[in-house]
Amino acid sequence: MRYRAAPLRAAAIVAAVFVVSRVAYRMVFGGAAGGGVLLLDVPRVPLEGPFAHIALFGPITSGGIWNAAVSALPFAAVILAFGVLNALIDVQRLFVLGATRGPIRAVSRALVIAWATAPALAQSVRRMRRAAALRGERGPAALLVPVFEHTVERALALAASMEVRGFAASARPTADVERPVRCAAASLDQGGAWRLDDVDFELAPGSLTIVSGATGSGKSSLLDAMSGLFQHFEGGRQDGSMEIGGLDRRRFPPRETAGFVGVVAQQVRLSFVAETVHDEIGFALTTQGVDAAHIDERVRQTADDLGIARLLDRQVTALSAGEATLVAIAAALVSRPALLLVDEPLAELDTAARELVCEVLDRVAHESGTCVVVAEHRTAEWQRIADTWLEIDGGRVTIGDAPMLPPTPASTSASTAAGDDRAVTERSHPLVSVQGLDARHGDTVAVRDARFTLRAGELVAITGANGAGKSSLLSAMAVPDAPSGITIDGVDVASLDPAARRRAITLVPEQFDDLFFSTTVAAECHRADRRNRPSTPTAQTLAALLGRDLGEGLLLRHPRDLSAGERLCLAIAIQLAPSPAALLVDEPARGLDASARRLVGDALVTVARDGRVVLFATHDREFAARFASRELTIVRGAVAPAPRTTAEVIA
Amino acid sequence: MTVVSPRSDQHVAVDDRARGDRAAVRRERATTVALLAGSTLALAAFGWPLVATAVPADAQRAAPFVAFAVLPAVIAVVLAALDRQMHSAKAVALLGVLAAIGAGIRIAGAGVGGIEAVFVLLILAGRAFGARFGFLLGMLTIAVSSVLWGGIGPWTPFQMFACAWVAAGAGLLPAIRPRAATVAAVRRATALEIAMLAGYGVVAAYAFGLVMNLWFWPFALGMGTDISYDGAAPIGENLASFALYSLVTSTLTWDTVRAVTTVIGIALIGPAVLASLRRAKLPSQRRATRRP
Repeated sequence: MRYRAAPLRAAAIVAAVFVVSRVAYRMVFGGAAGGGVLLLDVPRVPLEGPFAHIALFGPITSGGIWNAAVSALPFAAVILAFGVLNALIDVQRLFVLGATRGPIRAVSRALVIAWATAPALAQSVRRMRRAAALRGERGPAALLVPVFEHTVERALALAASMEVRGFAASARPTADVERPVRCAAASLDQGGAWRLDDVDFELAPGSLTIVSGATGSGKSSLLDAMSGLFQHFEGGRQDGSMEIGGLDRRRFPPRETAGFVGVVAQQVRLSFVAETVHDEIGFALTTQGVDAAHIDERVRQTADDLGIARLLDRQVTALSAGEATLVAIAAALVSRPALLLVDEPLAELDTAARELVCEVLDRVAHESGTCVVVAEHRTAEWQRIADTWLEIDGGRVTIGDAPMLPPTPASTSASTAAGDDRAVTERSHPLVSVQGLDARHGDTVAVRDARFTLRAGELVAITGANGAGKSSLLSAMAVPDAPSGITIDGVDVASLDPAARRRAITLVPEQFDDLFFSTTVAAECHRADRRNRPSTPTAQTLAALLGRDLGEGLLLRHPRDLSAGERLCLAIAIQLAPSPAALLVDEPARGLDASARRLVGDALVTVARDGRVVLFATHDREFAARFASRELTIVRGAVAPAPRTTAEVIA
Repeated sequence: MTVVSPRSDQHVAVDDRARGDRAAVRRERATTVALLAGSTLALAAFGWPLVATAVPADAQRAAPFVAFAVLPAVIAVVLAALDRQMHSAKAVALLGVLAAIGAGIRIAGAGVGGIEAVFVLLILAGRAFGARFGFLLGMLTIAVSSVLWGGIGPWTPFQMFACAWVAAGAGLLPAIRPRAATVAAVRRATALEIAMLAGYGVVAAYAFGLVMNLWFWPFALGMGTDISYDGAAPIGENLASFALYSLVTSTLTWDTVRAVTTVIGIALIGPAVLASLRRAKLPSQRRATRRP
């Protein structure tokens, strides 16, 4: 039992309105006569035609009004009674109960997800407001669609995450730990959009398998097929035989094998279900109805194993990328699965965090005897610890040896060009000057007293570990608080109005998809042109960045359906529309495979060649070394020139 | 592992799937029947003031109580029938998030008097994901918003059905496809589809007002006005009284505001929301693909 005053208050108002409106109707439609004092003698106005039985108005008496009000009381009482019920009954509890049993399980589950989504709505509004400010979009109407898309995206991730952790499971079949994965002549088909054949392999307990392949080749879908999300969540079709722990994957939805299969999603932060790290790790056990004391014990033990016990009381929103990945792994391991599926765990991590995650997964596979499968296009880190390599190429899965390490980046045309430009730019005058820039989050100082200058035509990288303050620095440069300490061409950026500021400096944020406000590439470019009126149409800028013609096919695609490299190029083209003197790009290489990195790197070189300043932040030293003409580093909020210039490293 | 030739293995799989598909088709038919029967019964409940004149005088007194009791029961049956069709967790998730957004819109709109922007979402989602999904979404949106706001009352089942019909109706409108994959053809097809949905929105806004007035009319007035419901009067006279009641109560005011809001909403965000809903892709409930 609990009591909420609001529903009762609302019911009282509705009941009062009901009584008043009945009295009003009686006055207008001739029914307020009868006994008592005559208050107002209005003549009756008969109507004609089909309405001949009706006359308007008529005398109004105190008795008539009293009768009308009294006659409304029974129904008003019903309204009040419902108000009392609403105030006392906790319906949300009933939803959770209905989600696990009874005839409307699916509907109840939908209602639980509806509940869980509500906070995400507010969060995405905040994110999109920032993106709109970066892009120079105004008004709430522009935000509606991105907020909508983002909320749907988050809800789907949340639902998938709850599903693989056993939420609302009605049965828990026993699985055979000795046979974690066995696929025979299986094929996967995503409604014509994507297809994978020859899925034919068997994985042993205590082994670590790497699924490699280019972005978009279907690594994630293969993992999803093992977790059952492909068949039961995405609605993809699987033929042939695929057995997980000896169970037919087509017959058992992910929630029923949750204790056997642990899943770490690609975007771990999108799939966090709980508010604190402790509850997040314990979620899978909570869905199984384990008692609180046991959950606490297991959560602490799992966190200790992964070395993240100090994070347990933290909010999941306050985790760094590396910490978030470890928490997601802990949340998947807490129910001691025999099969652990991990989708691109290294994409967002710096070198130190990468080593830590690799070491943890190595231990999980080779010490606890779990069958670990990792989808990853970065193969170098896994050379030492992987037992099996599955490669997806051309719609087929092949079992292979460890792939040859790609040769250390030879100087391509692009990077040589960057090196050549260096000689030129050293003679040009400094365009961007940062003198004593600070950035803070609430009370903590993220960047302290940054001082450096950037010249026109320079492509500069700023490198540093996760959480060193790279993003904060770029944010503070692009949208500075007054007085900021950043001048461009001698003008203080903080003194400019938003439109003028965007002609001086723009930022492509780390979550660059947030910049997309339209539903086709063509509309996106058109929107940028309308707002900024650039001399070169945005579509043409995009073609130059991609190094090819766009064609109707690409122009008609949804921006979010492009490949990661193409999406980033589109985001850069959008932010070039105001023709800024300086372009800032946050983590351009994050999660990109080799060919996409080349595409994006060359695009950045192209922008710098146009005589703009380009500064990008990255935790990827290799990408910085290959494309930047100069490097800065940031360590715990302090900016310094990198020890050696890139050109020397390449030479 | 026993050795089976790949061919026989495939045959087993195909037979298995065919059997599964036939069962799915049967289930789908049963759901359609449940939906149609449920909707007919619900329509009778909405129209109880008119239906009651056709029954003997003794039964007339019971008519409103029957209508009130029947509707929740029909909702339970229809929900149970549709529930079996929600195979995919993704469909469940989409339903959940859209119901949450719809409830948010409805509660936010409650303060702005009559600007029921929730119709925009219901129509667009019904259009993108089909009549069944729309039906469920209409029901759940009302359920979630009523629970959140604490506004559950005798009217809730009626609102649930009326909103379910609005969303399902959008799913039943004819498909419009671009003639060619060019920017111009796609733009033309989108414009046509949006115009059709906006037109439907106007019809839906007024029809919604009418059916919601119909069941409530006798309660709103009680006896004793000239436009009161009179169980003994001929149906024509009752219809005329109802028409006038509806006109002054909502048609000229709330319903018109609702129609205008819906048209503006669909025109403004319709293309984008339709595109993003279609991108999210509702997994098909039947796994059948045409076999050669």
